[in-house]
Amino acid sequence: MPMPSDRASRPPRRRAASVKRRVAPVRVEAAVHPVVVLAAVAAGAGLLTWFAAGRSKPLGLAAGGRSYSSRGHDVTASAAQRLNHASTMLAASVLFDSGLEHYRGQFFNRAMYTPIVVSSVTLAASLHGAGDTDTGSSRVRHAVQALAGLTGLIGFGFHAYNVGKREGGYSFQNLFYSAPIGAPMALTLAGVLGVVAERVRDADPDEPHLAGLSAGRSLAVATAGMLVGTTLEAGLLHFRGAFQNPAMFVPVTLPPLAAALLVRAATKPEGASQATAKWGMWAVSAMGVGGVAFHAYGVARMMGGWANWRQNLIDGPPLPAPPSFSGVALGGLAALELIERSRIRF
Amino acid sequence: MRIPGLGNAADNPKHVTPGDDPEHHPRARDGRAPNVMRIGEWVPMRQHRDEEEVDFAIVGTGAGGGTLACRLAEGGLSVVAFDAGPYFRPLEDFASDESHQSKLYWTDERIVDGENPLQMGSNNSGKAVGGSTVHYAMVALRFRPEWFKTRTLMGYGADWPLDWREMWRYYDQVEDDLKISGPVNYPWGPYRRRYHRRAHEINAAAKVLARGAEAMGIGWTPTPLATVSAPHGDAPPCVYRGFCTLGCSTNAKQSVLVSYLPRALKAGAEIRDLAMVGRIETRNGRATGVHYFREGKWRFQRAKNVVVAGYAIETPRLLLNSANQEFPDGLANSSGLVGRNLMVQGNQAVWGVFDEEIRSYKGPPSLAISEHWNYDDKGHGPFAKDFFGGYSYMSQGPLPQLWANTQASAHGLWGEALVAEMQRYNHVAGLKVVSEYMPQERNRVTLADVKDQYGLPVARITYSWCDNDKALNRHALKFLREALSAAGGREVWDQGDDTCHLNGTARMGADPRTSVVDADCRSWDIPNLYVCDGSVFPTVGGVNPSLTIQAVALRTADRILARRR
Ligand SMILES: Cc1cc2nc3c(=O)[nH]c(=O)nc-3n(C[C@H](O)[C@H](O)[C@H](O)COP(=O)(O)OP(=O)(O)OC[C@H]3O[C@@H](n4cnc5c(N)ncnc54)[C@H](O)[C@@H]3O)c2cc1C
Ligand code: SF4
Repeated sequence: MPMPSDRASRPPRRRAASVKRRVAPVRVEAAVHPVVVLAAVAAGAGLLTWFAAGRSKPLGLAAGGRSYSSRGHDVTASAAQRLNHASTMLAASVLFDSGLEHYRGQFFNRAMYTPIVVSSVTLAASLHGAGDTDTGSSRVRHAVQALAGLTGLIGFGFHAYNVGKREGGYSFQNLFYSAPIGAPMALTLAGVLGVVAERVRDADPDEPHLAGLSAGRSLAVATAGMLVGTTLEAGLLHFRGAFQNPAMFVPVTLPPLAAALLVRAATKPEGASQATAKWGMWAVSAMGVGGVAFHAYGVARMMGGWANWRQNLIDGPPLPAPPSFSGVALGGLAALELIERSRIRF
Repeated sequence: MRIPGLGNAADNPKHVTPGDDPEHHPRARDGRAPNVMRIGEWVPMRQHRDEEEVDFAIVGTGAGGGTLACRLAEGGLSVVAFDAGPYFRPLEDFASDESHQSKLYWTDERIVDGENPLQMGSNNSGKAVGGSTVHYAMVALRFRPEWFKTRTLMGYGADWPLDWREMWRYYDQVEDDLKISGPVNYPWGPYRRRYHRRAHEINAAAKVLARGAEAMGIGWTPTPLATVSAPHGDAPPCVYRGFCTLGCSTNAKQSVLVSYLPRALKAGAEIRDLAMVGRIETRNGRATGVHYFREGKWRFQRAKNVVVAGYAIETPRLLLNSANQEFPDGLANSSGLVGRNLMVQGNQAVWGVFDEEIRSYKGPPSLAISEHWNYDDKGHGPFAKDFFGGYSYMSQGPLPQLWANTQASAHGLWGEALVAEMQRYNHVAGLKVVSEYMPQERNRVTLADVKDQYGLPVARITYSWCDNDKALNRHALKFLREALSAAGGREVWDQGDDTCHLNGTARMGADPRTSVVDADCRSWDIPNLYVCDGSVFPTVGGVNPSLTIQAVALRTADRILARRR
């Protein structure tokens, strides 16, 4: 049986005075913390994505002049940008959340590096799209977003396997404490919203369609589903926290209500006012951002509070998690924009 | 403005060790008591003069006394609670050092004899404000309903004068008060309300229990524990460092010191630390107050009612030491049962070595449990039951010094062999029972000729196993050996003689001839004298006792308050 003490002990350190001048190979990697390397790789990949995405061409220019009415154009471009805001939020949430949690898990499995790199490139692609006022999609962005969607699904598989193999199988205990089963899906949501952003850019501005269905309606129903999924994840983890603070009920009540509003919006005739649903989306967006403050308070209530941040950021409520609600809600706003056929100014 | 929970850490580098010495100078005085939840802070405390006749004088502030003091004070009564031990501030006074923390134990002299003399101290009795709960292992289990009527329903022991359905309500209450962290669904016994905190993540030692139980085809579950898994007021969630049985320095653990006693103070109770009660005074068949030693001299506190809650050794000792002309055999002793029917619980263990690293000392010591043998009355095959009673068993997490001691004493290793064995400490896991021993009149607490530092006769503790106890031990060890081997344990060995918990020396009952107190914990002989602690148990069951002690205390408080109205 290998025991810790069996491992070869380190060679005794030579005293500085007796060190002979010898040309030793320079070992750079030893001086750099592996997490720094990871961060550099992620940032580098993001930058590369940004540049590779280039500058997308406005639709119709190649054909010589605009051929669509400018109002419809405004709406799809704005909705696409908003969808990219959504995927930005989600990708950033995943980047920091998976970074924190996988660091906590000490990157026990190599695959645990994946979401950090993938969410970085997704973040870059999303930011790029968010700043792109033109219609017309980018192939690089499109591909990156699709990759994110796929990675999230694979991550879900990994997490589900991790839960099931533990003593007790798919019990509450393992759903609470092994790999969080729903978390990787946030990356899939980022990817899906990002892909939709590209599709909307390419769609007919006067009658935008997605896979043959009305773009606004189908997106509204889809984001409603995403809100419900995110609620389930938050519900599971807040149940683990025994809803010890009444505020913990907000993310399990408000988003389903907002999701219901979205579904109702999808049934309204085109052009009808969507004010209620829009307020619902803004409320969920604000909740996602406000949740960070609540989680920061939660960190303060851990042993040692913020003075012991190195432990409590990892073991306390995750700061980066709540904004994923905001991300999905922004996707919902884009859907409403498309249904209402007018730009939301904000 | 101070936001609760910010920076109250014991490991906060800014904090300094308190300058006072709680083991020699009382802290609860001058109208204030320590605020145990905040470094250096105090809370106001109502105080009474000795001559003032208070409603209740309570001896002992542990699971029984502390809980009762809280509820009586909240009910509007004037209460003074005495404890012989110090008033510790966990955030400041508790060191991560096994030797140092022995300051929590009752180590005053006691004499042990009988065929199986008990080991006293660290494993069974505390001396501190908050009692033994300051260093207990937090396992919070309910009795099996049938155990309240074992004589009638199962043919052994004695019936409790209590109804399990009523107890179920009080269990609900104490579980809520302590925010017990337990599984979403508890697999044994009748329906109970969901625990108020989710169970803790289980460590590798608990996974060993889980694997063993699954291999043996019986149920297991994460253990319900009195340490929070999510914040509760100023208490942060558990940090899984595993010092629980040596005093939790984070206050995650819901000992009486940090749960009921702060509430008691808020409701106007007075707590007197370093106050040893030596004798209860009576006149005309009623208790009139207590003699206690504090700050270098003996004093007398007048009281309308007296409650003894010193745990199953000190309670009978105080009742016997208080013998006077009116009650020459000791107080409340017309049945002759004060001090008799002392029950400990079996604490046998099996230990084994595993290929993988276990590090069993991480987290609270008993994170997984099986109560199978408390609920299966027959068993079958090699595990057919040939005895009364049952047992639960739990995973274990001994700290290094305790583990070295166990290896040296129970395993008989020394020198080179001991050193070699300690190298494998990180690879060891074990299973330990809490089992039901029978009440026997010959197992008892009497007074010895030896006197302690207060000049009071010390307790003589006589204890022997009966055949039923021995049969239970055999069954338990055999089963645990197989379970541990099935989980992958090698070189499995038995630790056959450990015991824990103390109960039963002033049993409750429905008949004054066969019990010391009634269902309300009031003594049959002296109407204003109560006993409210582990001593009142007629039987012990196969689970750790303190949740039941506290549920009984809550009930007693309700009964006392109801009678006043
Ligand atoms: C290491 C250990 C682990 C345990 N683990 C568990 C567990 O996991 N689960 C569980 O349910 N139980 C556990 N227990 C048992 C539990 O702690 C006790 O059963 C319970 O605390 C007993 O409550 P009590 O009120 O009867 O006595 P205590 O809580 O012991 O309180 C008695 C108090 O009375 C004081 N006192 C005694 N005599 C006098 C006097 N004459 N004058 C003044 N003060 C006096 C003492 O100083 C003491 O503080 C454990 C015990 C120990 C020691
Ligand atoms: S493991 Fe938890 S309950 Fe035990 S001492 Fe540490 S913080 Fe307290």
